[in-house]
Order: sequence, then structure tokens, then C-alpha cells
Amino acid sequence: MIIDINFVGLIIASIMASAVPLILASCGELITERSGVLNLGVEGMMIIGAISGFALMTVTGSLIIAVFGAMLAGVLISTIFAFLTQTLITNHVATGLALTIFGIGISAMIGKNFVGIPGKEFPVLFEGLKDTIPLLGPILFGHSIVFYFAFALPFITSYFLKKTKIGLIVRAVGDSPESASNQGINVRLIRYACILYGGAMSGLAGAYLSMIYTPQWIENMTGGRGWIALALVVFSTWNPIKILIGAMIFGGLTIIQFHMQAIGVRIPVQFLTALPYIVTIIVLVVISRDSRKIRLSTPSSLGKSFHKDN
Amino acid sequence: MNTNLKISNVTKIYPGCVANDNVSLEFNSGKIYALLGENGAGKSTLVKILSGVIIPDEGKIYLNENNLNLNSPLDAKKNDIGMVFQHFNLFETLSVFDNLIIDSDEQRESLREKIDSIMKKYNFSIDLDIPVLNLSAGQKQKVEIIRCLIRSPKVLIMDEPTSVLTEQETSELFLSLKKFSEEGILIIYITHKLKEVMQLCDEVAVMRRGKLVSVSEIKNENIESLANKMVGQNLRTIKKKKAKTSSDQLIKITNLNFTSEDPFETNLMDINFSVNRGECLGIAGISGNGQSELFQVLSGEIISEKKSIEFNNNYIGDLNPQERREYLMAFSPEDRLEQAAIPQMKIFENVALNNFKSSNFFNNGLINENKIKEHSKKIISDFNVNTDNIELKSQFLSGGNLQKLIIGRELITSPDLLICFNPTWGLDVGAINYIHETLIKINEQNKSIILISTDTDELLKLSDKISVIHKGKLSKIMNTEEVTSEKLGILMGGAN
Repeated sequence: MIIDINFVGLIIASIMASAVPLILASCGELITERSGVLNLGVEGMMIIGAISGFALMTVTGSLIIAVFGAMLAGVLISTIFAFLTQTLITNHVATGLALTIFGIGISAMIGKNFVGIPGKEFPVLFEGLKDTIPLLGPILFGHSIVFYFAFALPFITSYFLKKTKIGLIVRAVGDSPESASNQGINVRLIRYACILYGGAMSGLAGAYLSMIYTPQWIENMTGGRGWIALALVVFSTWNPIKILIGAMIFGGLTIIQFHMQAIGVRIPVQFLTALPYIVTIIVLVVISRDSRKIRLSTPSSLGKSFHKDN
Repeated sequence: MNTNLKISNVTKIYPGCVANDNVSLEFNSGKIYALLGENGAGKSTLVKILSGVIIPDEGKIYLNENNLNLNSPLDAKKNDIGMVFQHFNLFETLSVFDNLIIDSDEQRESLREKIDSIMKKYNFSIDLDIPVLNLSAGQKQKVEIIRCLIRSPKVLIMDEPTSVLTEQETSELFLSLKKFSEEGILIIYITHKLKEVMQLCDEVAVMRRGKLVSVSEIKNENIESLANKMVGQNLRTIKKKKAKTSSDQLIKITNLNFTSEDPFETNLMDINFSVNRGECLGIAGISGNGQSELFQVLSGEIISEKKSIEFNNNYIGDLNPQERREYLMAFSPEDRLEQAAIPQMKIFENVALNNFKSSNFFNNGLINENKIKEHSKKIISDFNVNTDNIELKSQFLSGGNLQKLIIGRELITSPDLLICFNPTWGLDVGAINYIHETLIKINEQNKSIILISTDTDELLKLSDKISVIHKGKLSKIMNTEEVTSEKLGILMGGAN
């Protein structure tokens, strides 16, 4: 059997494409969690982003408005979460779950009128360079701007957390909101900002799904990717680079198991579909075994409400 | 330049409690001031007001005649008031340098130089690039002090700074504080330890129940006079009679080891000791040297090899706490609200919790509520717990009352051995006195105590024998008469 080297390139590119929404949502949630807030509403924010992007694209015809509108929708819905958990001091877990349920419901309601409408083509960059380099050409070129942004994001996130003052403050707030507050840091403001940023990234992840990856609206089209994104954050031990690895493994296995099913490999379908989940978690657990490093990167105040008393 | 800090008619009221009742005080630089009072006297509230953490209901604060508006910690910092809190305000997972740069506007390099010069000047030595969680308590406190010094403060407030320090670290701290004072920084030193006030300070203000009761110069005071002002009544001094020498061995620990999987716990290495009937063995040490692991191993929260613990001629190393209680051991853990009692449960429910088998609190799996309540009332009156409502959730009891309740509960089975871990931590003088009397009484009834404590004075007062734990190892066991607090301090620091 001769394998066309460009075909391999295309498979890798499709794996990367399927990893994009996971990377976006995970990196957003990572910042939220690093500030000590556990937002389990990623799935809900993602699906709101998906419907908002698709609807705005259909109504306005503008891709730019659609993409930024989806991010704004993510910000708006996460504002609800931020208001509840930071201002009204509700429980993070319950509020996040409610947000997901709310998102799925409201997206289905808005989406009714958009079922069956074909999407628009999203412009890709460097299309012409695709055939210039074997194997690498299809991997590197001919993708949407969101794709490139997603693959830069883990590195930007890592740089932000490690090297910038605001990144340091975010980590400090996640480590000990009491100390941060006593140091004169506005804990609530920082946490609000981190939650809203997480919402924007989840919204973008959703828009990528409905506008670029599979350009159409299908009810519940995020299909649990929000939960996977959440799992990636935890199992990567809050490390953006490991999120990238995890998302690639997950995306890769999802694509490969499709192909295996197509070729008719004699393994039960259920096992194949479960494989990406199992392997991703195993791999991340194995690469994140160092309990010292875990202790150093885990936001100690994760999921705990902070209430400043006066 | 002279610094003058004036607190004028400050009042802060919480629901059900006046934390600061019309407090006025004046401080001048060049002196070290003590703010003395029991827990709940209002001194912490007052300094939190000075540092902008709490906003007073009424009253004003003047620094060099300027009225300060302290609405946030940031305001205090801007006005050159630095504060080192009792519970460190550090970010454990960040490096020392990150902790220092976080609230500074300076560039990395210039800040580093500044820190280096501060450390040189005051003889501090701390690695700036390791995470704070790897530092000892004394080092963490130095980081806090450096954090204040970076801003060249006019006022430096220290809130109970020695509660986590060794004797040596304490004297180092005092030297530094005296040096700061000579350099013109106004020092306010909050404590409930009278010895320290006498040693360090020039003037002392005593608070009680939110009110300022006296301001005086140290040279006109002594420990007794201060204690009486602080408590508001004359305290009995407790002295333990020397125990009858008994050779009747009750518990024997042989070659006990514990290796933790958690890298932030301490491993116990080759622990050997024995305690006779009627004896109190004190175990001293700086917190974090394996005390909590030792307590857990002794109580059965951590199970060890069967033969490593021999109690009353039975091997019990592999038994859990409940089973050990049936052999008449009793336990009073360090954290009263997390480990000893369940905060959301009522007093009488908590009383029932540790006596599943040996008591008649339960009949065929049903709760015998009347029995439990009857017994709870008895504990409350016998042990002087200041409440008459046994339906009260235990989280609403003060630390002292809760500790009395717990000890009372533990003594229900009239145990042969009581193991206590920091039984008076954070309690006020009155409650401490009561607990100490109770522990002495237990010894007088020919029962034994293992007292794990970070309070050296307490250990010297109550123990018949003393050992020091350092990095999971016990020193040799000494008779208390042969020991001084200086000697303990040296052993606690790891020297021989």
C-alpha cells in the first residue's frame, strides 16, 4: 500500500482542526480557573457562541460581526455566572451546571429558525502555499485565522501567566484571595475579568464549530466538547502547553477512530468512540504525575467563594 | 523625622459584639508600642482598621496631623503604614520574588537590588526564587517584613508575630524590630504574650472586650499587673505538683516509622518512647516538624505496624481511632472545628460522635437522645462551658468553650491516656488556665497525657518529661526539671 504523503498531511490538518475548539475553550477556562473560579458552564457558553455566530452570520452576512458577536455572546452569558458567583456569592458548581443547561436550552430555542440553512464559506489564509511543501504544506497553510489563533493561544497563555504582571496577579488571586485582597488587589474585579475572558474564548470555540468546522446549525452541536475542555484543564494540571497536547491526542483519536470505523476494523464501535476520552485522560495523568508541580500549579482557592468582610 | 500616629474615637460594631468601643490612642516614633489583650479583646480589629482591611463605623486616624481615609489596604500602603499579619498574606505557590513584586511598581531589576540591600542590611538570607511554601515560618515572616520595608514605611504593625517562631527566631525578630525603631519606624506590636511585652516594648496599651483599659510605660508594669489588666481579674497561678514516680508503663512506642506520600507532609523516623501511668509527656517543636503526623499515628488516623504501639499490654498499632478508644485512649486534635467537632452539628450531637460503642448513647442503632442530652448538660456544667443551650451549633462556641467541651467529651470514658495536640492554641488566658488545671487533674488521677504542643511555656508547666520533635525525629526524653526553654529552643532548631 502506498500512502500519499499529502494525504497524511491532510489527516494531521484535520486532527488539528478538530482540536481547535478544545484548545480555545480550555485556554479560556484555564485563565478562569487560575483565578480560583470553577466555571462548569463551558458547554453552555460554547453552544451559545455557536448559535450566536451562526445566527449573526446568516442575518448580517458579516463574518467579522458574527465572530465577534459570538465572543460577545459568550461574555454576556458568563457575566450572568460572574454576577451570581462573585456578587451574590452563589456556589460555583451549581451555578456552572445551571449555565450549561440554560445555554443548551436557549440555543435550541433561538436555533429553531436556523436549522437546515447552509453556512457561509469562511476565508482561509495562505491557500496558495499548500502544495509548495510536501506533508507540511497542508498542515501549515490553508486554514482560517481562528485556527492559527488557537494554536498560538497556549503559548500566549503560558507567557501571560508566567511573565506578565497581570498574569502574576491572576495566579495570586487563585492561590489566596484573602492575601490578595489584603495586598490591595481587587479580587472581585480580577475574577470578573477572568470569567468574562473564559466566556469569550468559549464563545469563539462555539463559533468555530458552527461557522468553520461544520458550517451549519445543529441542535446540541457542541456534543460534550465543553466537558472535554473542562477535563483537559484539570488533567493538564492547569498547564496550557499540556492542554495543547491533550487536545491533539483527543482530536487525533477522534479522527482516527472514524477512519477505523470506515475501514471496518473489527473492534466494537462503542469502544472506538470511548477511546479518545480514555486515552487522553491516561496520557495527561501520566505526563502530569509530579505531585510537587501539581501543588505549585493548582489554584488553591479553586471553586471557593470569596467574600470580603468589612 | 518624627512620626505621630493618632487613633481618635474609633468604634466598630459587629452584630452582637462591639469590637472597638470608642478607642483613642497616640503613638510616636522611636518607641515600640505593645497592644495587649486576650483573643476577642479587639486588638486585631483595631490594627485591621489601621491597615485599611476593615473600615470603622466611627472615628478618625491621623498620621502626622493628616486625617487618613483608609478604605482599602492600598490606602494604608500609600500612607506608609505597613502591616505583618498573624496569618501570613503570602501566595504559597508563587516564588518569593513574585510575592514581593506583585504589589510593587518597580522594575524587576531595581526591585531585586533593593531587596538584596534590605536583606544585607538586616542580615536576612532567603532564596528569592523558590516557592514560598518551601520556606519555614520564620522565613515567611521575613518575606512579609521585607515586603513592608520595600516601601520604607513610617509605621510597622506586627500582629502576633511570634506565634509560629522558635526562641531563636523570636530573639532575631526582636533585634530587627529594635533596629527598625532606632531608624525611626514607629512599631506597634500586637500580642497576648506578656513576657514579650516586657522584653521588647517601651509602652503598653491594654484592651479588654473592645475597650482600651490602660496605657502605661513598661517600666511601671510587671507581668502580674499586665495579666490582671488584661483579664480584668486576679488570675490564679497554676503549679503542677511533681508526679509520684511510677514505673507502671502504659504506652510504649517502638521503632515507629511513617513515610508519607504527600511531599508536603513530614516523615516520622524511628520514634521510640514510653509513658508511665500518671505521667505527662510533652512533645515540643516548631509546627510542621511532624507533630500532626505523630498525632495521627498515635490516634489511629494513620495506621501503623501492629507491634509498634503497645498500650496496656496490647498491640494496637493497626487499630483505627474508634477501636483505640475502646482500649481507653482519648484524643483532642489540634483543629477544633475541622477535626474535633463538626461545626454545623449541635453541641449534644457532637458529644455523641466519638462514643459509638462504649456508651449507652445508642440502642440497637437508634439514638438515645435523652441520655446524650443529659450527659451533654453534665459536661457543660462540669467543664465550665459558657452556654446553657445544648442545641447550639458547635461553630458558635468560642474556641475556649469548644475546647472545654471537647476535653469533657473525651473524658467520658475515663480514658487511661489523653493525647492532646495544641489544646490551648489561640485561647485566651482564662480558658488556658482552665484547660491547664483540667490536664493537671487528669494526671493527679493517675491517668496519662501525651501533650504535643508548640507552646514551650505550656510544656514546661505541665509535662513531667519532655522530648523535642524536629524534622520527624524525636530527641531523647528529658526530665522537665533538667530543661530550660532556651535548651528546648536549641533542640527545636535542630541542633544537638
